[in-house]
This record gives sequence, C-alpha cells and structure tokens, in this order.
Amino acid sequence: MKTELLQPALGRESLEEIAMVALEFGRLLMETGASARNVEEITGQVAAGLGAERIDTRVGYASLAITIGIGPDWITRMRRVGPLGVNQRLYHALRATAAQIEREGFSIAQARAELDHLLRASPRHPDWVVALAVGVACAAFGRLLDVDWAGVGPIFAAAALGQFVRRQLALRNVNVFLSTTVVAFLASTLCGLGARWVGSQTVARDMIGPVLLLVPGVPAFNAQFDILEGRPTLGSARAVWVAVTLVFMTVGVWLARGLLGEGR
Amino acid sequence: MDFPLLFHHTVCGGLAAAGFGVLFNVGFRGLSWCAVSGALMVAVRTVALGLGWSMEAASFGAALAGGILVQLLPSPIGVSRNALHLLGCIPMLPGGFAAKAILGLFAITAQHPVATNETLITAVDNTLRVMFTVGALGIGLAIPTLLLRVSGMRPVAPPA
Repeated sequence: MKTELLQPALGRESLEEIAMVALEFGRLLMETGASARNVEEITGQVAAGLGAERIDTRVGYASLAITIGIGPDWITRMRRVGPLGVNQRLYHALRATAAQIEREGFSIAQARAELDHLLRASPRHPDWVVALAVGVACAAFGRLLDVDWAGVGPIFAAAALGQFVRRQLALRNVNVFLSTTVVAFLASTLCGLGARWVGSQTVARDMIGPVLLLVPGVPAFNAQFDILEGRPTLGSARAVWVAVTLVFMTVGVWLARGLLGEGR
Repeated sequence: MDFPLLFHHTVCGGLAAAGFGVLFNVGFRGLSWCAVSGALMVAVRTVALGLGWSMEAASFGAALAGGILVQLLPSPIGVSRNALHLLGCIPMLPGGFAAKAILGLFAITAQHPVATNETLITAVDNTLRVMFTVGALGIGLAIPTLLLRVSGMRPVAPPA
C-alpha cells in the first residue's frame, strides 16, 4: 500500500476524521469480543498511524470515547457500541490492519478503504456448518458431564437445531435474553423427548447438554480480564450480563423440565 | 491413572473446543490448534483430578499450563494466542453446574420450608463451585498473559 506523508499541521476536520476511524476500529473490536486492553491498544495504533500524537481512550460497555491531539489541538469524540459477540476472523483482520496502519502511516482515506474492504471480505462459516459444529461440541461437552452414550445423539440434534434457531432469531433482532430462553426451552425439550425415546438413563442431565452453547464463556473471561487489568466498571457490566444470560438460559431449561416432568 | 478415561476426556475436550471455535468464527487453519488446546487442557485437568486435586485446583492448573504453552507457540498460527487459550478453557466451563445451581434456587421457592435445607445446601454448593471454578480458570488464563506476553505496541502518551 502506498504511504502518504501527513501534513505537519492537520486541521480540526482531520482530527475529527482520525478520531472517527479509530473509534470505528474500536467499535468493531468490541463487537468481535476483544478485551478492553486490546481495544485500547489497537485503537491507539490506528490513531497513531494516522498521525495522532496524543491518544487517550475510555472503553465502556455500550460506548467508546477517544481523545486525540496533534500539536496544540485536541478533540474528544464518542461512539456507540452495538451488541457484543465473538468473531475471531474479523478480530484477527482488524488487528493485522491496525498494525499495518501504524507501520506504514496510512492516510485517512486509505484507512477507511481498507476497513471497508475488510468488512466486505471478512468470511463467516456457513450457518449449517456452525450448527453441526455446535452440535458436536455440545455432545462432547455432554460426555464430559457424564451423560450416557444414548444421550449423545439427542444432545447433538437438539444443540444443532438450537443454534439454527438462535441464528434466525439474531437475524430478526430478537432481544438476546428472550432468544436465550426460547432456544434453551426448545433445545432442552427436544433433547429430553429424544433421550427418553432412545432410552437414555440420564435424561435430566441430557437436557442441560444442548443449552451449553448459550453459556457466555468469552464474556465471562473478558469480565475477569477487564477487572484484573484495572477496568472494574466494564468488567462488572460484563459479569452482570453473563449472570443475567445464565438466569434466562436456566429459565428455559426449567420450563422444559416442568413440561416433561423431569427433575421433580 | 485411568487411561481410557483420560483418552476419552482428551478427545471430548478437543471436539468441544474445535466446535466452539467454529461458532466463534475461527478460520479453518486455526481450528486444529483450538482442538489441541482444548484436548491438552482437559487432559491436564483429568490427570489432576485423578491425583486427588479439587475441581477448582485442577481447572486452575490446566488453565495455567495451557496458557504457558500457548504463549510459547510460534506465530502466526491462524488464531490469536489469547483466543486459543480461551477456547481451550471453554470445555472446562462449569455450565452444567451453573444451570443446576440456578435450578436448585428455583426449587427452593417451590418447597415446604422443612424440605428446603438439603436443596439449599446443594444449590449453594453448586453456586460456589461455579464461582470458584470460573475464577480459577480466569486467573489461570490471566497469569501467563500478563507475565509472558511480549507487547510490540508503542506506548501511547496521555493528552497534554
């Protein structure tokens, strides 16, 4: 990529553009499951690569703020963050692009073009592949929880279907907690019925297997990282989100167990 | 040592980590590393449990051992080290205990007070196990990252 030299004195408009590009990187990083430390570091790399001399960021659960300065001028801007998820390939690409921007000193237009290209070109596994993989993962998880072999098939099928429904609900912007309960209820009920049909001796335990796809592992660990790295506010917000998600997931299992008369 | 159990848990740990790797959109090149990471950490935990360690201590030991090995891997391997470490720990998350703990708390409200004691103790036991195990995993994850990660990023000065 061709490197353009920055002008010695950038105007307020340029400061604004640097801030917005850096914040766009930060927003995407948050939405791909990065910890606050990584968001701060990578956002700082982008801003520095675009010519900022002084950078300070604040990473919140639902918003990001950045202050950047060049010479005597400085500016503070804020950006809203969307629903937090996990997307490793996009995260990896953002990280590599930020390092390239810092190393090669991109212009703002080049950085924006690179970001647009990255978003368009970032691949995702097909939904059916994800559903099958989640089915296998939950079935393996079930074996680690000591379900019998007869329960493995129902867990696989229920988890794969649960993941498919979860994706469809996400595409329709259904509230994430409501979606969690619906998927947990559906997967747990189907697994319970299937486990009974195949004669599993661990039906009550089988019914927990397919909902393990809903356990928010990455946010749970990120919450701890954020607290350990000196960001207790964000860490606490993530921890509360994890706890509420677990409660909504368990409500789904509880309703399924009530329907099938298991665990009484 | 129960070697068939160790083999079984190692395979299941690898499958679970790779499956969740697909869910988290890890590229195909990185998935095999996810499987190795999950298999290794679950194997360490199984060995530790076999030696009589508690679930919390075994989880901590597995996360710490896995973290040190992951940080020493050559790069690039198609997935970030932190993600690889985290995915290896996913099969050790006590999701089943978390569900049992909350179900136990629900059950307490539906019972006569006399019958509540045993349910309450089980629910509290499961809740504490979840909290301590997740805490142990998190600390096991964080220590190698904080100690061994070599950051090539330049320090960013605060605003004047």
